[in-house]
Amino acid sequence: MSASLERGINAFKEHLDAPIAAFFSSCVHCGLCADACLFYTETGDLQYTPIHKLEPLRRIWEQEYTLLGILKKALGLSKPLTDKDLQDWQPLLYNSCTLCGRCSMVCPVGNDLVYMIRKAREGMSASGNAPAGMIGAAKRTVEIGSPMGVRLPALQAQAKHVEKDTGLHIPFDQVGAEYLVMLSSMEIMNYPEYLQAVAKIFKQAGKSWTLSSEAFEATNAGIQIGSSDIAREIVLRIVTAAEKLKVKTVISPECGHAYTAIRWEGANLVGRAFTFKVQHILEVLDELREQGLLKTQGFEEEKLTFHDPCQLVRRGGVIQQPRNLMNLIAHNFVEMNDHGKMNWCCGAGGGVSANEDADEIKMKAFNRKKIQLDELQVEGLVTACANCRIQLEAGLEEYEMELPVYGLTELLADHLVEDK
Amino acid sequence: MTTRIKDLNTAPNNVGKYLSTQGISRRGFLKFCTTMASMMAVSPTLLPQLVEALENAPRPSVIWLSFQECTGCTESLTRAHSPTVEGLIFDAISLDYHHTLQAASGEAAELAREEAMKAHWGKYLLVVDGSIPLGNPGFSTIAGMSNLDMLLEAAKGAAAIIAAGTCAAYGGIPKANPNPTGAVAVQDLIKDKPIINVPGCPPIPVVITGVLAHFLAFGLPELDSLGRPKAFYGQSIHDRCYRRPFYERGQFAETFDDEGAKQGWCLFKLGCKGPSTYNACATTKWNQGTSFPIESGHGCLGCSEPNFWDAGSFYKALSVPTGDLGKIAGYALAAGGIAGAAAGLLAQHKKGQAIKEHKIVTVNDLEKGNSA
Repeated sequence: MSASLERGINAFKEHLDAPIAAFFSSCVHCGLCADACLFYTETGDLQYTPIHKLEPLRRIWEQEYTLLGILKKALGLSKPLTDKDLQDWQPLLYNSCTLCGRCSMVCPVGNDLVYMIRKAREGMSASGNAPAGMIGAAKRTVEIGSPMGVRLPALQAQAKHVEKDTGLHIPFDQVGAEYLVMLSSMEIMNYPEYLQAVAKIFKQAGKSWTLSSEAFEATNAGIQIGSSDIAREIVLRIVTAAEKLKVKTVISPECGHAYTAIRWEGANLVGRAFTFKVQHILEVLDELREQGLLKTQGFEEEKLTFHDPCQLVRRGGVIQQPRNLMNLIAHNFVEMNDHGKMNWCCGAGGGVSANEDADEIKMKAFNRKKIQLDELQVEGLVTACANCRIQLEAGLEEYEMELPVYGLTELLADHLVEDK
Repeated sequence: MTTRIKDLNTAPNNVGKYLSTQGISRRGFLKFCTTMASMMAVSPTLLPQLVEALENAPRPSVIWLSFQECTGCTESLTRAHSPTVEGLIFDAISLDYHHTLQAASGEAAELAREEAMKAHWGKYLLVVDGSIPLGNPGFSTIAGMSNLDMLLEAAKGAAAIIAAGTCAAYGGIPKANPNPTGAVAVQDLIKDKPIINVPGCPPIPVVITGVLAHFLAFGLPELDSLGRPKAFYGQSIHDRCYRRPFYERGQFAETFDDEGAKQGWCLFKLGCKGPSTYNACATTKWNQGTSFPIESGHGCLGCSEPNFWDAGSFYKALSVPTGDLGKIAGYALAAGGIAGAAAGLLAQHKKGQAIKEHKIVTVNDLEKGNSA
């Protein structure tokens, strides 16, 4: 079976729900969402106005679900949606949207635009109009186990390295452990320090944890490409592994969409409540701090700022935790303008980083982050999302800015009080 | 408000100065203008014009006539619990005659009306609440003068007429079947003056002051086919109702104490007239923005629409024909309701069908044509 316009239109119809109908009918065309979108602010191109990106979905809603639209369609006054229309919208619905959700925050009539874009991608992917790069990532996630094609032996090799370097044990498949630690491929391949940091922190806190050899990758290409079926398949792996290992808590890695996928969409996709809790690593670390289980020494003296990953602040409300943790180890921590729930996206979330078609525009979009950073003149940038981190590093290089980027978990681990 | 008539000769002669003597800061005044501008959907670029126009507007002479009414409209306007800028804008007009509010009585009161009319002939604003009985001139009189005569006389010298409340605008409850007094609306009698209908039983206070502010700053507002200012009556209650998502989803309360009612579902089936009622209740709300009827769990009665009292039971769903089919409007309303309900059913069916036709998407189904 292959993707077709028919399947795409059926998906649009299926996913058009009451909230979307209410949103479309209450849009007042004020254009405020444009100013909230970094793809518009950094290009000045009006086609990037978020509500405009939803035109295919709006047309289906009007033609199929409104009285006037049904009449217009019957009288031949409105043109049916074609495959060409959807093709034309691919750059708008995928390349220039990171699902960051800033537009949803500013809409004066409360339209959840990012919710609609996520749903519109269902029709796009079912009709074969998802970008090739994201199709590839989805395939690798399902067939190999990770969007970057990382297999278990690669993780085992990295675990061995960590064990050799630190003398700490990296547990696999420990039934009854308190925490199941999930990773993103980026952490396995680009930032192995993360795994080392987690091992050190849990050792100090005296908590039991484990990795799973059946499900170690938490990123969810199904959510990004906009296919609930694929997203469900990927989430189900984690659920099965977590239930098999009887863990209390599954920890989402330093990756924004992975968190959204298991924390918010997961149980809805699977259709039942989880038997375990889901937390982002920062939530866990802040809890350990509160319980006095995170003992640190020394402070970073550099002027540091924190880049809020969109999925953590806007979808997840994880705003205060990173600040508590930053203040634990940094003397000179300063905030960007618009920090917290209105922070600007790095420009590469929501599948943009896996989509080569977006390479050029995501660098243009990074200019927004450059403006924020230029205002502060910091000496270091901290974040808590591997995907943000890759984009930040690439963007800083593109714009010729010398600025080190750190992961918050690793930075904390560097300041742990050494066991004697 | 009774101080007004005493102040008549000494009070400053424009709105801006009057407000500053009443302790309204310029900041407060600007806030009021901004609110008004956004409510009236005036372009933000016209805001300075609104401010200037309101500040320098001469305090217009207003004559308020009350006919067959219950004083609810006056109550609505004066019931603000704390003095508001809106209230003071209203104070800022020179209300030369209002028989509920004025201190004077008897001949002195009627004299004030006659003098104001003479002094401001052709320029005063006439506000009317209540309907006018034509059955017998004796049904409702003031100082021995029938409502009809008083209206005709006062209308002659008016710059414009505001019909405040549903009775003055469309006849309202006095005109309800069998209309024992032969009540009619202002617009049935006066044909040669601009009439602004501000219906509602009662109208929202801020809508009355908003219309007044618009009149002072920009002249007559744009009106809909029923003579109502589009700025306030341009959208249906239904379109702005916070329970709208439940309607779209087909979740209705069936009785006032069932699970649906407790969940706050749509009151359409309990007779809510929101879909056919045009007013600003759902946005401006009542009692200093506290709530509006639907928020309190009761459907909209449709009080700002003509013949709302005769449009069938308040508790029968709109799509159920009301039995009052002698009127074209009734037919149209019922037909609209049925078509709307039918479209709703069709939409539900379509979505159900789409869910049924869903084929699981696997990673091998993401590409078009034969490439998969």
